Amino acid sequence: MPNVYIAGAGMTRVGRRSEPLQELMADAAHGALAEAGIEQPGMMVVAAMNPEEFLGDGNFASNVATYLGLADVPAIRVETATSSGAAAFYAAFAQVAAGLYDSVLVVGGEKMTHLATPKVSEIIGRSIDPYERSYGATMPALAGLITRALLARKLVTLREIAQVAVKNHSNAALNPYAHFQQPVTPEEVMESRMVAEPLRLLHCCPISDGAAALVLTAQRAAVRVAGVGQGTDTLAVRHRDSLTSFKANRVAARAAFEMAGFGPERIDFAELHDAFAPFELISLEDLGLVPPGKAGRVTLDGETARDGRLPINPSGGLKARGHPLAATGIAQLVECVWQLTGRVGARQVPGRVALAHSIGGLATNNWVTLLEAV
Amino acid sequence: MADIAASRCPRCQSVVAPPATYCPWHPVAMTPTTVPGVGEIVSFTTLHSAPEGFRSPLHIAIVELEGGARFVCHGDETRGLRIGSSVAIEAIDDVYYFSHLGALERARLFWRRAGHAGDRVNAIARSLAKRVLNRGTRAS
Repeated sequence: MPNVYIAGAGMTRVGRRSEPLQELMADAAHGALAEAGIEQPGMMVVAAMNPEEFLGDGNFASNVATYLGLADVPAIRVETATSSGAAAFYAAFAQVAAGLYDSVLVVGGEKMTHLATPKVSEIIGRSIDPYERSYGATMPALAGLITRALLARKLVTLREIAQVAVKNHSNAALNPYAHFQQPVTPEEVMESRMVAEPLRLLHCCPISDGAAALVLTAQRAAVRVAGVGQGTDTLAVRHRDSLTSFKANRVAARAAFEMAGFGPERIDFAELHDAFAPFELISLEDLGLVPPGKAGRVTLDGETARDGRLPINPSGGLKARGHPLAATGIAQLVECVWQLTGRVGARQVPGRVALAHSIGGLATNNWVTLLEAV
Repeated sequence: MADIAASRCPRCQSVVAPPATYCPWHPVAMTPTTVPGVGEIVSFTTLHSAPEGFRSPLHIAIVELEGGARFVCHGDETRGLRIGSSVAIEAIDDVYYFSHLGALERARLFWRRAGHAGDRVNAIARSLAKRVLNRGTRAS
């Protein structure tokens, strides 16, 4: 399989944005293309989770391609719920790896802050099993069930979960692209409004707008794609044996490391899918980055902080950089590329090998992507 | 206690509730079955701003049914409830609710079911063995 490189990266500031989604995606895509020195890529992959529901727009690959001035470029859309960006990256990677195209643009974005929060939650919740949804299950509800199981098995403590939010807010305070720029204290997290017991507001990521883009190429560039892996699980959470570990995480990690030909010990830093703070702790262990039962302890000890042994979510993560759904998987990779090439200023962490991890739905369609500085 | 409609995979014997047309893990048609509406709480949560069409606070639980499937249902309250608590499930207007079984109710249910089985001694032994087994292997 030929090597695939990342030649350009771009993203918008994440947060409450007044521009149309197409404009945000154009900003990100034009930035990535300019950096790659490419005006027209061979093809493009568009990631958007719910543009029909959020915006009323359909035929979204052509919609975005035309807006960007790339109407003559073959375009497809990829959707795997909240991991759509990572899945679209995989589709772009596969096109280049297969030798079908020399350069592929992948651009993901979402816009939803113009709608009321209950409406946004309901639209995102359509990615949940219909029977569970008929009992009022939302993403926070399912995350609440998982968090209760984690606490009951004494796998993590509330203080350790709070530390994930504290750390990620502290990182985002140094990221001009982040939704939240202000730090939070453990007390603020642990006393914030109850959402889905025992999960509180400051354990949850915000509703954000934003877009991110990458250009993949067969030509040698500063960052190489070392491996991509996908893992899946049942749509229904009730069909799973365990609530405290995600099979889709474990399978995706195994596949990505197998493709890369190395193991988790080579990872210098990672962007993990912390839509809910306890998910960062679950994923740290599922991906083999820390030994079973240790995720909470290493987080509290500062090992996953910016100056720790294994910095996790130097961008601020979904928790604080924000979670513009289909942009997120790509924004994580943009952060990894910028970190690997020393372009992030005060939040710079050292390292040559990075991992990005994206969860689709309630861990039904997960991705692990490994990038390596060349 | 309600019997709950479920389905079983002829290939892997997995039971899911409510019934599914195809096994989630194998592309084969499932066989209809029922499972008794008693089990143990796997986890539970209370939503403080429930989605449209539901009253807040909204109690939701995952229950491991004795027949093997895990089931999602509502509850009236969660006071005193823990992971591992025994619950019975009832349907009210086609919506399933769990209720926490106290020691007395558990004993009553136990004797009723033992009686139904016809052979009281064997039923007691089976139920006890199952309880010990469940405790040993419960994943979460």
